[in-house]
Amino acid sequence: MVTRAQTNGNGAWAERYRDKWKWDKVTWGSHSVDCYPGGCPYRVYVRDGKIMREEQSGSFDVVQAGVPDMNPMGCQKGACWGYQHYGPDRVTQPLKRVGERGEGKFEPVSWDVALKDIADAMLDAAVDQGPESIITLMTPEPGAAPSRAFMGVLGSPLTDGNAEFQDWSPGYYLTWGKFNPVSSMDDWFLAELTLIWHCNPVYTNIHWFHYVNESRYNGGEVITIAPDYSPSSIHSDHHVPVRIGTDAALALSMCKVVIDEGLYKKKFIQEQTDLPMLVRKDTGHFLRGNEVNAGDREDQFFWLDSKSRQVVPAPRGTLAMGDVDPALEGTYKARLVDGSEVEVQPVFERLRESLKDYDPEEAAKVCEVSADMIRMIARKAAVKRTKIFSGWNSGKYYHGDLMERSMALLLALTGNWGKQGTGTRSWAISGLDGLAFLTSKGKPGQDAAREFQRQTLAMRRLLSQEDPTMTMEMVLNRAQEMGAGRMAGFGGMIPPAFLWYHQFGYKERWNREDWSDPTMKRSFDEYYQEAMDKGWWDNHMAKVWKDVEPRVLVEAGGNVLRRHRGGQVMLLKHLWPKLKMIVSIDFRINTTGLHSDYILPAAQHYEKLGNSMPSVHHLNFVLIDKAVDPPGEAKSDRQIGHMLVKALEQRAQERGIKEIKNHAGQTIPLQGAYDRMTLNGFLKDDETEFDEAIKDTAAYGIIPEGNSLETLREKGHVRWTAWGIAGFGLAQASTIEPDKTHNPFRWHTEDKVPYPTLTRRAQFYIDHDWFIEGGEALPVHKENPHHGGNRAFRLTSGHPRWSIHSMNMTNNIILNTHRGEPFIFINPDEAARRGIENGEEVRLTSDAGSMLITTKLSASVRPGQIILYNGFEPYQHREWYAQGDVEPGMVKWLHLAAGYGHLKYRPWHWQPVPVDRGVGVDIEKLPATAKAG
Amino acid sequence: MATNGKKATAGHQVAWVFDLNKCIGCQTCSVACKVLWNEGDEGSEHMWWMTVNTQPGKGTPKDWESMGGGYSNGELQLGKLPTAEEFGGGWDYNYDEVLHGGKGRSVHLQKIAGSKTWGPNWDEDEGGGEWPNAYFFYLPRLCNHCTDASCLEACPVGALVKREEDGLVLRNEDVCEGNQLCAAACPYKKIYFNAPRGVSQQCIGCFPRIEKGVAPACVRQCPGRAAFVGFIDDETSLVHRLVNQWKVAVPLHPEYGTKPNVFYVPPLAPAPLNPDGSANENADRIPPQYLESLFGKDVHGALANLKAELAKKRRGEASEVMDALILYEWKDALGPFSKDPAELVWK
Repeated sequence: MVTRAQTNGNGAWAERYRDKWKWDKVTWGSHSVDCYPGGCPYRVYVRDGKIMREEQSGSFDVVQAGVPDMNPMGCQKGACWGYQHYGPDRVTQPLKRVGERGEGKFEPVSWDVALKDIADAMLDAAVDQGPESIITLMTPEPGAAPSRAFMGVLGSPLTDGNAEFQDWSPGYYLTWGKFNPVSSMDDWFLAELTLIWHCNPVYTNIHWFHYVNESRYNGGEVITIAPDYSPSSIHSDHHVPVRIGTDAALALSMCKVVIDEGLYKKKFIQEQTDLPMLVRKDTGHFLRGNEVNAGDREDQFFWLDSKSRQVVPAPRGTLAMGDVDPALEGTYKARLVDGSEVEVQPVFERLRESLKDYDPEEAAKVCEVSADMIRMIARKAAVKRTKIFSGWNSGKYYHGDLMERSMALLLALTGNWGKQGTGTRSWAISGLDGLAFLTSKGKPGQDAAREFQRQTLAMRRLLSQEDPTMTMEMVLNRAQEMGAGRMAGFGGMIPPAFLWYHQFGYKERWNREDWSDPTMKRSFDEYYQEAMDKGWWDNHMAKVWKDVEPRVLVEAGGNVLRRHRGGQVMLLKHLWPKLKMIVSIDFRINTTGLHSDYILPAAQHYEKLGNSMPSVHHLNFVLIDKAVDPPGEAKSDRQIGHMLVKALEQRAQERGIKEIKNHAGQTIPLQGAYDRMTLNGFLKDDETEFDEAIKDTAAYGIIPEGNSLETLREKGHVRWTAWGIAGFGLAQASTIEPDKTHNPFRWHTEDKVPYPTLTRRAQFYIDHDWFIEGGEALPVHKENPHHGGNRAFRLTSGHPRWSIHSMNMTNNIILNTHRGEPFIFINPDEAARRGIENGEEVRLTSDAGSMLITTKLSASVRPGQIILYNGFEPYQHREWYAQGDVEPGMVKWLHLAAGYGHLKYRPWHWQPVPVDRGVGVDIEKLPATAKAG
Repeated sequence: MATNGKKATAGHQVAWVFDLNKCIGCQTCSVACKVLWNEGDEGSEHMWWMTVNTQPGKGTPKDWESMGGGYSNGELQLGKLPTAEEFGGGWDYNYDEVLHGGKGRSVHLQKIAGSKTWGPNWDEDEGGGEWPNAYFFYLPRLCNHCTDASCLEACPVGALVKREEDGLVLRNEDVCEGNQLCAAACPYKKIYFNAPRGVSQQCIGCFPRIEKGVAPACVRQCPGRAAFVGFIDDETSLVHRLVNQWKVAVPLHPEYGTKPNVFYVPPLAPAPLNPDGSANENADRIPPQYLESLFGKDVHGALANLKAELAKKRRGEASEVMDALILYEWKDALGPFSKDPAELVWK
């Protein structure tokens, strides 16, 4: 096609450009970051031993005929990731603090000096306060995980990632017993109606938002529900400007329309949900087996068979209804074990009663959305394959659980999950087995892996002996709960809310009545005490923190002083003085690094072997190859992990510390971990270890047999064939098919496999005492509390376009694509009333704190709203106070509830998680003199 | 007028189509371009040959639409020469002072080079209209590689050429004397000045890639799958069909008279809201006259064609146009330039 008949591009100038686009090496690459889905396959181009640039490989095949391919998956951050390898914040030598913490005075030291110092501090802490006092934070960079290997020596805890960065969906969890059912990104093409709701995917899902636009071109409709005319609204058919924090009312009103107009899918809710389950009118609790039949299970529930008019037990082992036609409406009598009779009603009957308050005309006043609009969306959702494109915005509202439960209810009533083109989304990973079990399998080789898998599955089957109706998903959850309990004293994940309460100064904050929900019947501390007294969180170190003071803090690949809701003040005032050693393991100096005692230099993403986020969104194992050596003294995370383990073992030996004791009374020997984690030396280097992990992953059936590091270096990525048994894959509850988009829940909807909830159904009625007391047994709307103060504005936020968390925020190329400094969005009329100009620096204040930031004016912003997309480094702000410093970091009291069905902790799941949306703030023009800085 | 009086001519013509209903303003095209051609070279700090701006907006250079250039009644127009301040950006920061200066909170990250008042995407997501009927969309812009390139005619030293084989407008930087008449003549203001080198520079159409059958970075790296490239004179190409056959893509500011070779599928928008909050499906959120001010009168026909095709799909009928824009196989967007660059081996 291209002819060279008459080339005008001759000459030295043209050759200079041609030479600029030449390289001497290409490798596969991606980014080991916690974005969604992440794992974009890239090609990394190297010249003269340096990263020259990267470009998406564009190498995905079409999965399902008639559905667009996933190419060229990537974004602007990925397109200049290599640039950051050589950025001014790069760390290439171990740095030791020589000034005050936060002053930023460091001197380079050798690894030996750094490791000895850190190992000694850890041993001192373990001996003095116990290994619990060595706190490691789960961070949003999965590639950093291997540097935390020392936890395996000391049995020290890791804080749960979903509490650290709040990407959690409590309402979905309450409903389904899992929060992470998510379809593959190509499945979004098949939606007939996409409700972008509590998400701004034009910013946050750059790599696959095209499927939404393409579904529209395919005849689908797109509606964005957001307080502001968000960037995701622009490609929608409708924008629904909901008042901040009233989404539950909006969803419930739609539910009422669907029910009142008889549009609901009766069989779907009878079979898939608890809506036909009977509730006692006198107590508000479900009618339970042990109340009806002596010796029956407490977790046996009942429905009313419309044919026989009998109260019959709903099967626990299947969703299939058999010959029963469960009643959804009416009031009935049930005979209890003592012969007395009580009135019972299906949940649906109670729901109809509860929805009386949500007539569209009434909801319109609450949500500031017209009744017409509410009816229009409800009617569309009732007849179209509908997806709710949600993110982690809803879960970050104080009553986000109610919003999500209401949104899930809309999907239930309209039968919109468990088939292609339907459902919702959250965070979902799987496919980790090869790496997760690498050392647990005990011996090298894939036979050992297969044997380990056999044994693990056999052990898990034992767990269901007591209750044979348990599904594999429930068994895995149970194993993870037990694992977490046992591991809590042994290098496992813990829910950190209890640590924060005692040691980070949150007792006072969470008890502030004016920041809390006015519908709370008792003080936060009364609930806290009850949760402790009942031992609901005992397996997860909740009680340890009363006595154990943190002594060492390790942050690998994260930036807690930027991230922490509640702000730096809480950390620097309450936690920092207790810490004898603060370590940042990172490839860059961030705000946390500047406040650390040591910064250990980690390899950047193209300088080490790794794999991307194993995301269900794309279902691929994506290789990140080592394109170049790390500069200076920087090491791969795995190497850093191993070096620290060796240093610990060596210093323990030299100091004669044979073992330590934790607060669970366990004795932890300090030798042997290094041999265990290298399979006695077999896993001698990064290449061997990664090759073994890939081969094991194939042995576990997650990717086809025959795959290895070598084959991945050829093709870069390979699609999963199964979920494995380690991750959260089973929660997807659908079989991966080679020629179909993935849509979760199909084992439930097609095979009638029960859900992992108390009632074994998608559960909309939570009869935990606290939920009944709080009026939240059913999803309802509650006003956003005045956390941060009753002020003129509500602060909303979201993941930014410009950065994965704070990782790219100070990249000069990225800075040049926006204002190049932190900013908030505000409505022009609001600004004008205060004499504030576009670009002016202002002070943003809540009861919790204040920060300085510049303004951007846009009519897209709702009056009374301030938008601050997160991720700016505190050091980008004058005075270094940032977003977290105006956010009180409240947790909802009901999330301390446990001891009930699926309301219990396992890693990444049910726990108190701080909220940060809808914080009350004021904006203040700065006095003229203050502007100079 | 000190120009060379030479008119551009070409045989084949590479053209771009950007679908503004798929563009999400993510800046991957502009970052890809920056990293490939303008990163780390002296004098190129402020250069973004590819930019994406929010419309309505002042864009980059600031208020470029009012600066003039192009042709009026066939006469070459020398418009305003944009200043470095108007282009904006070119920032560098006091990284060293903040990260290594040991000054703690007394200093924070600040710009120490470049414009204090503007940047290549300064008015991102500000847009127009009034709440709740605000509106905006994203407009990616690069050199239009115009059929009647006014820059070429304006250049007194003949540094600019339009290539026969692909119609790219390229500059012989060894001949360019940096007098910037080209930039004054360019009505799109996409020509930058490299002060230390004393030469002007603009998008080179990724000609080294085009020559190897690889699509330009802005197209091949577009994750929104909003960009198409091909020969507009090839009647089987997608770009030809979108522009000339299906008539759903139109040029930007056709009245500038340079016959640009970058085309845009114009933006749809959500139905505006009535005062009572209900949707007004019969009105336009983006004022049609605003779109006309950008894309000329043909924009109305293009939008009508697009809506008609969309309606077919919503009725369950087939639409060749929608299927083309859906882009079932991404490589179709790359036209004859679908070679995988990773397969190239340099001798």
